Amino acid sequence: MADTVTPRTMPAGRTPAIVGLGMTEMGKVYDRTAGRFAADAVRLAVADAGLRLSDVDGLLTSAGVGGGVGLGLARDLGLKDLSVLSEMQSYGSTAGQMVQYASLAVASGTAETIACVFADAPLRQGTSTGAAYGSRGAVGWRGVLGASGIADTTSMYALAARRHMDTYGTTQDQLGHIAVGQRAWAGMNPRAQFRDPLTLEQYHASRWITEPFHLLDCCLVSNGGIAVVVTSAERAASLARPPVHVHGWGQAHPGRSLLRHEDFGLVSGAARSGPAALAMAGLSVSDVDVVELYDCYTFTVLITLEDYGFCPKGEGGRFVADGTLGPDGKLKVNTGGGQLSSYYMWGMTPLSEAVLQARGEAGERQVAEHDVVLVSGNGGVLDHHSTLVLSPHAPGRA
Amino acid sequence: MVGTVSRDAATAEFFDGTARGELLLRRCPEGHLSTPYAEACETCAAADLTAVPAAGGGTVVSHAVSHKRDGTTLPLVIVELDEGPWWWSCLVGAEPGQVTTGARVRLTFERPEGSEAVPVFRPADA
Repeated sequence: MADTVTPRTMPAGRTPAIVGLGMTEMGKVYDRTAGRFAADAVRLAVADAGLRLSDVDGLLTSAGVGGGVGLGLARDLGLKDLSVLSEMQSYGSTAGQMVQYASLAVASGTAETIACVFADAPLRQGTSTGAAYGSRGAVGWRGVLGASGIADTTSMYALAARRHMDTYGTTQDQLGHIAVGQRAWAGMNPRAQFRDPLTLEQYHASRWITEPFHLLDCCLVSNGGIAVVVTSAERAASLARPPVHVHGWGQAHPGRSLLRHEDFGLVSGAARSGPAALAMAGLSVSDVDVVELYDCYTFTVLITLEDYGFCPKGEGGRFVADGTLGPDGKLKVNTGGGQLSSYYMWGMTPLSEAVLQARGEAGERQVAEHDVVLVSGNGGVLDHHSTLVLSPHAPGRA
Repeated sequence: MVGTVSRDAATAEFFDGTARGELLLRRCPEGHLSTPYAEACETCAAADLTAVPAAGGGTVVSHAVSHKRDGTTLPLVIVELDEGPWWWSCLVGAEPGQVTTGARVRLTFERPEGSEAVPVFRPADA
């Protein structure tokens, strides 16, 4: 949709592109450790790019709640003489940040071909999903919060959402529209764990977890792994897959976790990260064709849409309930079903769908106009945010 | 209702306070008050903080209701203490929905068996 795409700060000749995507089987898959999922995902991503593991000279890893993914992955994959290697952690914003650090490494010449991977295996056969993400020991500051009944992130996000509802008049029904719209997309995603159509009535009837969140306001939990490979646009030109160029990026970490009197639940780091990423790409929010947002909860989608400027602050509720979402909606948001309906691979969920859409490989759910794809990551309790602006077109070309 | 918690080195002074029925805020040399777990003043970043008990009054900033698998519920609140800092906890002596944003609450303490005392809130008029 954009007429011209002119990056402002990227060094010429080494602009970064995502050239490989590897996705393991995801969901209730019990036969592998997180480390094995990570290794499988990297192998798949490297093969997808038409590269060999010996071409990889950088590796960035991101572990979930179950741990088990880290520096040892280089050994598991037989990688030697790497120029970049690190474990990264900003929770749900990590995937987007890994692509940013990989892009910086490519742009600076620090490394040429960097694999970025997230994997987790918190689910165990015979135990509930809640148990997989439950309380982790009642000691110290974290313990006093848990003993007070605030033992999980769902409670914290519920308190954030209620503040938004009380301040701006956001309604339960409006949150429900997000769950319903994304489920409609998931129906066209063969990888989605939940594909059955969902109605607003079913949303309202689903059990409470922490009011104002029903079960269907919350992401699912998955075992699995996803990796991407980042290299230079120059090198990308001779590889197997259509490159997805990284045009812009941003991060924002507001700080004062659980203390932000002024804006907790009202404004997130997306308000700074999104405009920064778009400015770097030389684009504005009206240029965006496809939006892949981190959606640990329905509410996270709503606040991110507001903060990115798709609608004025406080009007997110009316915006999402007004025919905006779903395959027939005005804005193409979370086209694979997101973490609410497809698979929960932290920031790799929106990123993987963005790569598929930008390549034009999203099958039945492919969005016709996919020149500019905006991707968000969100970590902590709205504490960490990352943004990527992706395009199938190289910088400088329409 | 309230769960159990044990102390570590970082929370020893805090739980000595809750045992006395005090929620200890942190005061810097300029007189700014920060939350109990502040390592630096949340207003001016000063590192030299001393403990001072909260008076106990506060106003609800946000609220939620946790639903357990056994059918029980627990009202949750973020409270802005009258001194300024926030404290996240649950509400006792109130039905879910009884206390909403803007309501006045009072600090109180639950003392579960085998646990440090836990700061919680109750409706101010209860």
